[in-house]
Amino acid sequence: MTQQTVKVKNSIVDDGIEAGLARLTPERIESVIQRVLNREAGARLKTYARTCVHCGLCSDACHHFVSMNRDPKLSPAGKVKRTIGVMMQKKGKVSTDFIREAAMVAYSECNLCKKCVLYCPFGIDVGYLMTLVRRICHLLGVVPRYMQDTAHSQSVHFNQMWINGDEWVDTLFWQEEEARDEVPDIRIPVDKEGADIFYSVIGPEPKFRAQLIYQAAVIFEAAGSDWTMPGSPGWDNSDLCMFSGDNEMMGRIKRAHFEAAAKLRVKKIVMGECGHAFRSVYDVGNRWLGFKMPPIPVIHAVDFYHDLVCNGKIRIAKKFAQPITLHDPCNIARGMGLYEKARELAHALCDTVVEMTPNREHNICCNAGGGIINCGPPFKDKRVEANSVKAKQLFDAKAMGAEVVIAPCHNCHGGLEDIIHHYGVEMELKFFGDIIYEVMEKPE
Amino acid sequence: MAEVEFKGKKFVVDEDGFLEDFNTYTEEWVEFCMKEEGIDTLTEEHWNVINILQDYYKKNGIAPMVRVLSKLTGFKLKHIYELFPSGPGKGACKMAGLPKPTGCV
Repeated sequence: MTQQTVKVKNSIVDDGIEAGLARLTPERIESVIQRVLNREAGARLKTYARTCVHCGLCSDACHHFVSMNRDPKLSPAGKVKRTIGVMMQKKGKVSTDFIREAAMVAYSECNLCKKCVLYCPFGIDVGYLMTLVRRICHLLGVVPRYMQDTAHSQSVHFNQMWINGDEWVDTLFWQEEEARDEVPDIRIPVDKEGADIFYSVIGPEPKFRAQLIYQAAVIFEAAGSDWTMPGSPGWDNSDLCMFSGDNEMMGRIKRAHFEAAAKLRVKKIVMGECGHAFRSVYDVGNRWLGFKMPPIPVIHAVDFYHDLVCNGKIRIAKKFAQPITLHDPCNIARGMGLYEKARELAHALCDTVVEMTPNREHNICCNAGGGIINCGPPFKDKRVEANSVKAKQLFDAKAMGAEVVIAPCHNCHGGLEDIIHHYGVEMELKFFGDIIYEVMEKPE
Repeated sequence: MAEVEFKGKKFVVDEDGFLEDFNTYTEEWVEFCMKEEGIDTLTEEHWNVINILQDYYKKNGIAPMVRVLSKLTGFKLKHIYELFPSGPGKGACKMAGLPKPTGCV
């Protein structure tokens, strides 16, 4: 075979970050950092900065630290010290090289997974501190190109994949038509006022993985749910602006989502299997808008499916036979505590559930979330190599018999797929929706 | 970034294995990708999808929705996934020489 691959190992160069740096002046850097530190961060930052005693208990919680030879620079406290710590100490008088380094740390060395928060004796939220660094980078215009492109799409279309209004509705009609081959008369109701459920998804579902919408329709039909999807913007619940640091745009995207649901006078929002979208609707975006809790009840797919399956609203024809293991996504496990429900659901659907160790709120992150996978190809090798500890965890679960990994989050899917491929783990990945669709009694 | 040599042709690819530059695409690239994408034999149907992806990309600068692929080929969604097991976004776009789509993919 005349085939040869030569890997060129260079330090990461990101076009978006470099273009942003080229526009900076020392005055601009100083004024932006001062503005964020003094006017946006305030007491919370000061408290965290004064409380951390550098005890190092956060270190072992971090997959970057554990996977990269326990490099102290990659411990959560180390990452804070290298970024926001220096900015505070120098009162914003830092160089463009420093900003490049800070952007690299904030966008590619912390997934905002918040596992370290559990291990900090004071509960210092390093995820919040890294978000602050990203906020500064966004205001300076120093954001990885792939992530900024996605944020641009959300600014223009209120969805993350440049999908036009007509394309969205057309895709729903198309999947309704395809689903009718299997379930005659099935509907994907668009803009149905007064429905119980407003079902929202993320951009990649209509763009490339439309079968997920089809499967959801079959599940809703079997359960006899009164549901709808909006025909206008607000259907995409994801939010890359939350991760780039563009809080203003994040607020607008969340408002569009809530308003689309309010306009249809629905009782609740049910979201597809996405973790970061849930974080943006349930924790971050709603609070930026001033809602302590979402103005309309928000239910994640895992919670919703748990109700359907465990309360007998849909019946299981034959349980899933291959042994599975369950990956707890940070945003719904640590973010909302859905880990017990996810387990009950897995046991109700599958013959054999093998536990990964650690699990539940202590699970190891996929290293794709927090927007890292959205930073695109320049960061892929780094992302995969900085999570060898996840590969080991998967190998261990495989040794105990697990063949399939259920990951109820799109980012986790992408990240785990890359890890499985890179380390040769050879396990299959599925969503809960895939499994339910496979094992349920289908509607007639 | 990596450089790949296949049948005398050189390709520069990004870390996700996509071509760095769409203009460096040649038919050998498709042949190079197919095995990794789980495709044994290339059929006219594969080429049909690849050609449509390239036309759309040249006109619009992004990858089309899978709905557009279905409309122009007449293939059902399931069949597109049978042709390209890693899907239209990662598999088919890669083989057609398009850059990796942005977003959660």
